[in-house]
Amino acid sequence: MFELGLQAIYSGVLTGGYYALVALGLALVFGTMRVINLAHGELVLLAAYVAYSAEVHLAISPIAAIPLSLVVVSLVAVLVYVLLSHITRDRELNSLILTYGLGIVLTNLMLLIWSADIRSTTATWFQEGAVLGDTLYSSRSEVIFFLVSLVLVAGLWFWLTRSWHGRAVRAVSSNRDAAMLMGVNPRTTEVLSFLVAGLLATFAGIALYTGKTIDPPLGHALTIKAFIITVLAGMGSIPGVLLGAMLIGITEALTISFVSTSLQDLAGMVLFLAVLLLRPQGLFGFGTRRG
Amino acid sequence: MQHPALEVREVQAGYGPINVLWDVSAAARAGTTTTILGPNGAGKTTLLRAIMGLVKVRSGAIEIDGQPRTGNATWDMVRDGVILVPEGRLIFRDMTVEDNLLMGAYPARSRPRAASNLDDVYQLLPRLKERRRQLAGSLSGGEAQMVAIGRGLMEEPQIFLIDEPSLGLAPVVVDEIFAILRKQKELGRTIVLVEQNTHMALSLADHVYLMQSGRIILSRTAGEIDINHLHDLYFARETAT
Repeated sequence: MFELGLQAIYSGVLTGGYYALVALGLALVFGTMRVINLAHGELVLLAAYVAYSAEVHLAISPIAAIPLSLVVVSLVAVLVYVLLSHITRDRELNSLILTYGLGIVLTNLMLLIWSADIRSTTATWFQEGAVLGDTLYSSRSEVIFFLVSLVLVAGLWFWLTRSWHGRAVRAVSSNRDAAMLMGVNPRTTEVLSFLVAGLLATFAGIALYTGKTIDPPLGHALTIKAFIITVLAGMGSIPGVLLGAMLIGITEALTISFVSTSLQDLAGMVLFLAVLLLRPQGLFGFGTRRG
Repeated sequence: MQHPALEVREVQAGYGPINVLWDVSAAARAGTTTTILGPNGAGKTTLLRAIMGLVKVRSGAIEIDGQPRTGNATWDMVRDGVILVPEGRLIFRDMTVEDNLLMGAYPARSRPRAASNLDDVYQLLPRLKERRRQLAGSLSGGEAQMVAIGRGLMEEPQIFLIDEPSLGLAPVVVDEIFAILRKQKELGRTIVLVEQNTHMALSLADHVYLMQSGRIILSRTAGEIDINHLHDLYFARETAT
């Protein structure tokens, strides 16, 4: 019983790492530009599909496909930004509508290119078991990408707090006019945010490809997951994304072990709603909306 | 004769269909303090924002050291050393005091000296050093104004535009702020100061402009100013000749 619980928590933490990776790009763009990119899940899935094609046509491993996925996802991310930048009014609402439509376009493009067949990597090395201390089981992919997730969360946090461009991204988010008076070109900063989000989405996509199976509808599901975790974390909080993701992951894993597999998503949603009822601003969100 | 550090000539500018500045011409000589006075709505803030490229200039010219800079983007003006401490401070409320000051060093030319400039600003404004890790949004009005000025100083201004620094501050705090500005004047900075507090502004000014309804109605060196005449014009008890 206890071991079952411990295993569930361990699995949940690892899954949380993966979820954080999926959510991070969305959280960054949401926190800095107040734009909810509903096509984010499709970017993650696109990275996975590029890795699939690379494996099939170029016979390279998913890890070696990362640079290729990065290029493709970055191009699409910039395209999304260019389209978004034409919105002149009601940016928050209109960007929701625009990116939702873009998500549908991307999903159907992936359906056209790769068909609805379920794909998975032939590098089964990733799905083989890894054991921690003789008792805790997971796949190799889960462990590797959990660590990758930690590195990227820490890296993003350092970039935002310590680097010139990261600070500029935060400044534009805080007060756009004032940032311009500091010599910041807001357009450049926003493109940069999208590129970083694309980078994060790429790693999430490779994690997805090595750990699970992929098919076109997954993009939408990923966006929803990312959005829930972003809101749960509290707007603009990077550490919150990791914590929120792990809470969801653990809740799901415990539900699978002790209740029922089919209720895992429901359990995650219930946790989400419960947190929001108690703390509407999210786990680490600021109390009031700044002007 | 040398070009003025900053000059605007017959500038018309405004917001959308509304024109605010009508044929505004003014100049600031290097190393001097130029003060722009006037009641609310006179266009003083619009003039500074137009210089910084935040408000669209419809006609007229803006020049730095005789070089045309009309229509430049805000970040290009900053790169040329024209720095604005805006009305209302516009500090980054959800960033720390130190992060606010460091944002001042963002222009590429200032970055190499960011650390030493930060030390200088903390020496000048010790209260900021005490509160360096505090969120800027939690500061008092006077402290926020110090952050705004400190942030401007981090940008190593060639031309320092300051918009209504005394707004909303208690008299004791206003004295502190003006002491800081006086120090900058003594260091030889080229300052353009917009103020409603005429007493303070005149004590610093080398040259005075008075604006009303989007026009310059008076231009005098500080020594020539008759304060009563100024107040008559200010409150439109008489029209300018």
